[in-house]
Amino acid sequence: MARSLRFAALIAGTWFAAAFSVAGEPAPGQVLYNKHCLTCHQADGGGVPNMQPAIAGGTWVTGDASALALFVMSGGFDSASRKDSDVGNVMPPFRQLADADLAAILTYIRQKFGNGASPVTAADVAAARGSDPIS
Amino acid sequence: MRNAWLARVVSIGLTAMIGGPAFAADNDGLVLPAGFSAIVVHEGQGTARHLDVAASGDIYLASRNGLSALRDTNGDGKADVVTPFGDVKGTELRIFKNWLYVSDDVGVYRYPLKKGELAPTGQRETVVSEFPKERQHSDKTFALDAKGTLYINVGAPSNSCQEKDRQEGSLGQNPCPILEKYGGVWVFDGTKLNQTPANGKRFATGMRNAVAIEWNAGQNALFSVIHGRDSLDTLFPTLYNAEDNATRQAEEFHQIVDGGDYGWPYTFFDTKLGKRVLAPEYGGDAKKEPEAGKYPNPLVAFPAHWAPNDLRFYSGKSFPAKYREGAFIAFHGSWNRAPEPQAGYKVVFQPMKNGKANGPYEVFADGFAGEMKDNSPRNAQYRPVGLAVGPDGSLFVSDSQKGRVWRISYGGK
Repeated sequence: MARSLRFAALIAGTWFAAAFSVAGEPAPGQVLYNKHCLTCHQADGGGVPNMQPAIAGGTWVTGDASALALFVMSGGFDSASRKDSDVGNVMPPFRQLADADLAAILTYIRQKFGNGASPVTAADVAAARGSDPIS
Repeated sequence: MRNAWLARVVSIGLTAMIGGPAFAADNDGLVLPAGFSAIVVHEGQGTARHLDVAASGDIYLASRNGLSALRDTNGDGKADVVTPFGDVKGTELRIFKNWLYVSDDVGVYRYPLKKGELAPTGQRETVVSEFPKERQHSDKTFALDAKGTLYINVGAPSNSCQEKDRQEGSLGQNPCPILEKYGGVWVFDGTKLNQTPANGKRFATGMRNAVAIEWNAGQNALFSVIHGRDSLDTLFPTLYNAEDNATRQAEEFHQIVDGGDYGWPYTFFDTKLGKRVLAPEYGGDAKKEPEAGKYPNPLVAFPAHWAPNDLRFYSGKSFPAKYREGAFIAFHGSWNRAPEPQAGYKVVFQPMKNGKANGPYEVFADGFAGEMKDNSPRNAQYRPVGLAVGPDGSLFVSDSQKGRVWRISYGGK
C-alpha cells in the first residue's frame, strides 16, 4: 500500500514536472515539444491545414498511452483517423529519443492538448518500445 | 461644409447612377499603397485557390471544394450571382481563348466558355490526366502560352529527396530519382485531349514545387516563383538553428528556360550568404557552394517560407506606369518558420523590365493575416493564394481561409 502510494506520488510528481512550468521556466516536456514537434504541429497543437494534422483534442492524444508512444516512435501517417487530403507530410519516427524524453513530450501534449489525459511514464514508453519492430 | 455635404450626396448619387463599385471605407482592413482601394467581391466558396476574370468581367474561381462562377449584375463590384459548377476540386484556373482550363492533383481539364453563359454548360474535357496521386506538392498548377502550349508544374513529393523524407540526418538520394517524374515543369500541347504524362516532355527540372507559374506574353517566356525547402534545423541541427531555418532558404524567382535546372534538391539559395549553397543532405556544411555556373541564381530571392502561390504579370492599364511589365506575387504565408514568427501572408509587387528585376520588391497588399493567435497559420484571418487582372486593370486576390475575393483598383475613390 505504502509502496503503491509512493509510486503514485512519483508518477504525479513526474506528470506535474513535465506538464507545468516552475518559476516561469517552461516544463521539460514543453521544451522538448518546442524542439521536436512545434514547427509541424504548431504551438497551439492545431497543426497546419493540408500539411500536418492537429493533435489537440485528437483521438491519439486522448487515447491509450502506449499506443500513442508507439505511433510517435514509429512515425508515419495517421491513416486510421484522417482523410488522406487532410495531411501532406509524413511524421518522422522519434524512436531515437530517450524513454524519459518521449514520456515528457507525451505527458505535455496530453495535458495541454488532450483534455488533461493521464500522464505517460518512461515505463510506458519502454513497454511500447518493446512492441516497436525496429527498436 | 454644406457644399462638401452636397458634393458627397451628388457623388453617391452619381455612383449609384453609373453603378460604380462601392469600395470599402477601410479597404476591408487591407493595407494598400496610396491611391488604391479594395472591395470585397465575394466570400464563401470554401478553400479558394486560383481565379481568373473574363473580358466580360465574370470571375471564375477554383477551390478545394469545387469551381464557381461569379457575376456582378448591378455594377457595385460585388458578385450577386454565384454559380457552382463542374466537378474539379483543385488549384489552377486560367482562361485561354474560349476555354476555361482547370486542374486538380492528377490532371488538367477544360470547359468551353460560351458567350453570355456564366457557368459552363458544356462537357468537361480532359487535356492531361493520370499524374500519380501524391500527398505532398501535388497541385498541378500550369501556364499556357499564346499557342496553347501547356507548362505543368509537377511538384516533388518530398522535402529534400532524403532517403527517408523529413527524418533527422537522413542523407539525400544521389542522383535524386524523384526528378525523373517530378520536381520540374513538363510541357504538353494544351490543345490536344486525353493525354497522359507520357505525352509530355520534361521542360525544366530542379524545382521543388513551382506553384506560382505564369507565362509572360511581353517577354514570350515562362517564369516561376518556387517554394524552397523546409526544416534545415530539425534535419541538420548541428549545422542550422531555428532562426537559420526560418530565414535562410530563398523562395526563388526564375525565368524558366527549356532544359533549365534550378538546383533542387542538391542546393538552395541562401539569403544570408547571398549565394547558392549545397544542401546539407548533399554534403553541404552551411557554406560550401556547388560547382560554379551549374545552377542559375534567382532573379529575386524572396524570404524563406513565404509560400509563393500565384504569379501575375501586370497587363492592365489602370495602375500607375511603374506597374507595367511588373510581377504581382501572392504569398500564402509560412508554417515552417515556427517557433520563429511566421511571415509572408501578403501580395508583393516586383518591378521588372525586359524580364529582369528592376529594383527591390514592394509590399503591395498586406494585413491579410490579422493577429494570428499563437503564431499559428490556422489562425490567420486570410491567406492570399490567387491573383488575376480584370479587364479594367483591377487586381483580384483570392483567400484560402474563408474563400474571400477582393478587387483592388487604382483611383477608385
